[in-house]
Amino acid sequence: MTLSSEEAAKTLSQAEDARKRSAELYFYHRSSPHLILWGTIWVIGYGGTGLFPAYSGYLWDALVLIGVASGVVIGRCRSGQGSTAGPRAWRLAALAAIIIFFVSATYRIMQPHYSLQFCAYPALITGSAYMAVGLWSGLRYVVAGVAVVALTLFGFYFIEPHLYFFWMAVVGGGSMILAGLWFRTV
Amino acid sequence: MEQPDPLIHQPVRLKIMAALKALPAGEPIEFVRLKAIVGATEGNLGAHITTLEEAGYVAVEKDFVAKRPRTRVMLSKQGRRAYDDYLDYLREIIALSES
Repeated sequence: MTLSSEEAAKTLSQAEDARKRSAELYFYHRSSPHLILWGTIWVIGYGGTGLFPAYSGYLWDALVLIGVASGVVIGRCRSGQGSTAGPRAWRLAALAAIIIFFVSATYRIMQPHYSLQFCAYPALITGSAYMAVGLWSGLRYVVAGVAVVALTLFGFYFIEPHLYFFWMAVVGGGSMILAGLWFRTV
Repeated sequence: MEQPDPLIHQPVRLKIMAALKALPAGEPIEFVRLKAIVGATEGNLGAHITTLEEAGYVAVEKDFVAKRPRTRVMLSKQGRRAYDDYLDYLREIIALSES
């Protein structure tokens, strides 16, 4: 059996399509627990900030530390299941670190005036980062990013300021948890 | 390689091998996810996986998660090598036609 170059090119193209689809689904699956984790952190962090605004700084410091440590544990658990480190999943931990650094540095330089700005800014950055990741890694990330950004902006302009933290806890954190669960489906 | 590997040179098995090759070494894929990627029926996919397993190209693990049966498929070292050789064969044909 001898193949023509056209047949060979077509076969290669079919293989490449399957490879891309597999890599995309694999990345969704690997990153799903991280989204659920950070969604939960948002629920606790924003909810806690709404309930106990005086302690919000301590709360977020603790939650960010827990989030980063849990991310490392999740990654190690996966490696312990017999697989080597994922090709791109580790970058999510790096992405979280970059977002935390960027938000902290921008707060320091720009110094927001209102608590709502403190609240909305990291969510906008996170949503935008997901959209950017999605350009390379798949449409579901773009959808998750758009949802987070749109809900954050909607709440910022249309929700009563004293309820905004709870809005971000339920809708912002909730949308990330839902996105994480969606990523687990085939 | 003068002939394409007949075990891989079949549309469904090619997609199975390509899907498995996209994963890190030693990483299995669940049957349901593989089915979604390949776009084959359960019976058809199962038959092709058995063919690849008998050739030593893939390993199949069956277990239970929350009392539900789970089948996972993993590319073996032999399968990885065979797939690489197969792709080299295809690229060689294209390169020869272009030269």
